[in-house]
Amino acid sequence: MHFDQTSGISTISLSLFTATIRGMGNKRKDREVQSDDDEPMKSRTKSTDGGKPQLLPSMIKNKEKRSALYAKLKLEKKTEKRKKAKAREALESKALELGEELPPKKVPRTIENTREADETVCRPDDEELFAGNDADEFSSVLNSQRVPKVLMTTCRFNSTRGPALIKDLLTVIPNSEYYKRGTYDLKKIVEYANNKEYTSVIVVHTSRREPDALLVIGLPNGPTAHFKLSNLVLHKDLKNHGNPTGHKPELVLNNFTTRLGHRVGRLIQSLFPQDPEFRGRRVVTFHNQRDFIFFRHHRYIFESKEDKQDANDQNNETEDGKTTLKGKVIARLQECGPRFTLKLTSLQHGTFDTKGGEYEWVHKPEMDTSRRRFFL
Amino acid sequence: MPRTTTLESPGCPPLRAITFDVLGLIKVTEARSKQGGVPKVVERWGEPDASRCVVSASINDRNVDPLLAVARKSGVIELLSPVNGDIRVSLPNVNQTDVPSQEDGIVGLHLFKKQSSDSSSRLCTLLTCTTKGVATLRSVTVPKSLGDSTFDDTPTTWKVCAAGNVLCCKVDENENYAVFGGKGVEVNIWDLATHTKIWTAKSPPKNSLGIFTPTWFSSATFLNKDDHRKFVAGTNSHQVRLYDISAQRRPVMSFDFRETPIKAVTEDTDGNTIYIGNASGDLASVDIRTGKLLGCFLGKCSGSIRSIARHPNLPVIASCGLDSYLRIWDIKSRQLLSAVFLKQHLTNVVFDSHFDDEDVAGSVAPMPSSEQNVDDEPVEGDDEESPPVIKQKKKKRSKSRSLDENEDPTSSSKNKKPKKVQKLDGEDEGSHFAKQKRFKMSQNVDKDEEEPISAEQEKPKKSKVRSKDGKSKKSKKPKGESIDV
Repeated sequence: MHFDQTSGISTISLSLFTATIRGMGNKRKDREVQSDDDEPMKSRTKSTDGGKPQLLPSMIKNKEKRSALYAKLKLEKKTEKRKKAKAREALESKALELGEELPPKKVPRTIENTREADETVCRPDDEELFAGNDADEFSSVLNSQRVPKVLMTTCRFNSTRGPALIKDLLTVIPNSEYYKRGTYDLKKIVEYANNKEYTSVIVVHTSRREPDALLVIGLPNGPTAHFKLSNLVLHKDLKNHGNPTGHKPELVLNNFTTRLGHRVGRLIQSLFPQDPEFRGRRVVTFHNQRDFIFFRHHRYIFESKEDKQDANDQNNETEDGKTTLKGKVIARLQECGPRFTLKLTSLQHGTFDTKGGEYEWVHKPEMDTSRRRFFL
Repeated sequence: MPRTTTLESPGCPPLRAITFDVLGLIKVTEARSKQGGVPKVVERWGEPDASRCVVSASINDRNVDPLLAVARKSGVIELLSPVNGDIRVSLPNVNQTDVPSQEDGIVGLHLFKKQSSDSSSRLCTLLTCTTKGVATLRSVTVPKSLGDSTFDDTPTTWKVCAAGNVLCCKVDENENYAVFGGKGVEVNIWDLATHTKIWTAKSPPKNSLGIFTPTWFSSATFLNKDDHRKFVAGTNSHQVRLYDISAQRRPVMSFDFRETPIKAVTEDTDGNTIYIGNASGDLASVDIRTGKLLGCFLGKCSGSIRSIARHPNLPVIASCGLDSYLRIWDIKSRQLLSAVFLKQHLTNVVFDSHFDDEDVAGSVAPMPSSEQNVDDEPVEGDDEESPPVIKQKKKKRSKSRSLDENEDPTSSSKNKKPKKVQKLDGEDEGSHFAKQKRFKMSQNVDKDEEEPISAEQEKPKKSKVRSKDGKSKKSKKPKGESIDV
């Protein structure tokens, strides 16, 4: 009995042992095979650029060999890249010499140009879009039937940077007025602004003395957009900032492509007068990139600059017919006004109403499942 | 390479949905099994015009000569054909008082499904309700062509409420009663035959802090097909309330759902599940017997839900709203089957259930549906024959019946459990119809009803049922192929 048991155990352990041995043997064999194949593999990588997936260098246990292999691979990659670049340059220079068309430049892949396909992107041939535009809340302002008039206020408790931002925004948006918030309800303020025929209300919300949200309400029944505000640099904190004149600014809205973006763009557009004074050379930019709206305020100037080096070019240009301007024309920008970034958190149908309001769009966490999905 | 396309959603079963939007356009979306169930906009009726914004819509989904009633913002009511979009009748502004329609627009519209007693099939009845609470019941004859003059009965009008704004109006399945509710208007039920108010709700008491929430109902629906006494109302203060008019005037049950107003409530055909949608785009199904949330419909829906529609035959619901997507969801798995972008803010969605998958006449798909209608009709006929007086007498009996029915669905849901698996692996329409028919049968015949349960407990019979389904699948497939060829 006893004997049997022990024998059983021993056999089991034996079998296990043999198995392990076999396994080890296999491993060793593998390694040997690898080390044997080391040279051929390298040659293969040289010849066909990339070995089989089974013979990954990370499988090599010996660190020296492995790192040597890695270094070699890296060098190969580098030379390959250099070769390619050289070939490309050669092609280009050849094309330049022969006066042919240059080979097409490759476009790098970015998050924006690989964004998820979105059927809500506005198309210029969409008649329903224009019919919708004519019917929406901003059409009276944007058709310049009404002059935009903006009421600005803050949250209940504000200090330092909040009022400073308001002061800057007052210079940016013409025909805007600041009212002290006091202890009024926002709904009451909206009602008041409606009676006074304001076209929009802007509320700057501060928390911990730092502006962190912007509320734009279209009146009388326009939508309410709630933005998160970040990266604020005030006018006076900008280096080499310019001082804007009192002219009506031009407005640049970039990349508001989808229906939602289009609507937000129109909301922003309705804040500014529709007849910019180009003499003022003042431009306000709302640039949308990856759903972040960057606000910038610039002055620009076209300068003619005389350069000794570009004498030939200068002659060419004058020959072309530009008689009034001497020399090369350069556009120069000077930033003025605040600089900040907005991100839309919700767009509400109707005026401000947190309890009973209907939302046209709310940002929900379940939407953030892809880096390549954008809504504006 | 990262994923640059949106996730492909599983296709939906063949169906036809009609949506109405803010610009007064009516769009027809169809999904066909040939195209892999991807719904597409096939037709667009009307020209974009903001004053023709569709406020409310109702469909009479009968087999022969279906009708679609649409109420516009300007107060015009149109009767259309849901098949080709021809305007049959266009009724001018209903207001007798000549008040500008902006102040007193129509909020609710119902097109009656049951035929009137004089059996002239061209006569149809309409119930409308305005924000000020003027309810109008009128009958209209539908001419063969647009040129014919329309005979308009003298409309019967009554005031639903003295003050406040009516926001929701719903007629029960047998079309004898209607519920109205709104901002400052407690939900109340009216007998449509006699135009009398039979019941008014009482606002719930103040809460423990002594705060009274003002009445503001934003949606309502009747729960059961045969029972007008139970209905569900959604409020602006994100509360869903169940009322039972035979029990008490205060809600029998109420629960909160999220933080924005409940904008749409729709009942399921089983009579105890409801679908609720709110102003921030959350859609959920709730078992109203317990008030427990069954689950949410997740699908990146971001705009307020204005309307939810339950397909009468398929296990599918459609939702639409301010995000201008028509979304079609599976009921059981609560998966998004597909979403169609319709460009405008949508106000309403209805299903056209008599949609045949193939264009060829006499195809396979309509056959079961027509059979179903045969099933349906006797039920409707019974209801029509019994006058309302007898109904009130029957109350006790019907109560017990309703209790039975309350038990029914549970048992049927139990029955359904093994079926669910089948449904998941392949949504064959034919088999589904077969199931539906069985379900109907069990509902109709009380005596037989117990049998299936016992049958379900015995395993061999279950297998029989399965084989039946399998047979039906098999028998249907070759037919479909022959048509394809």
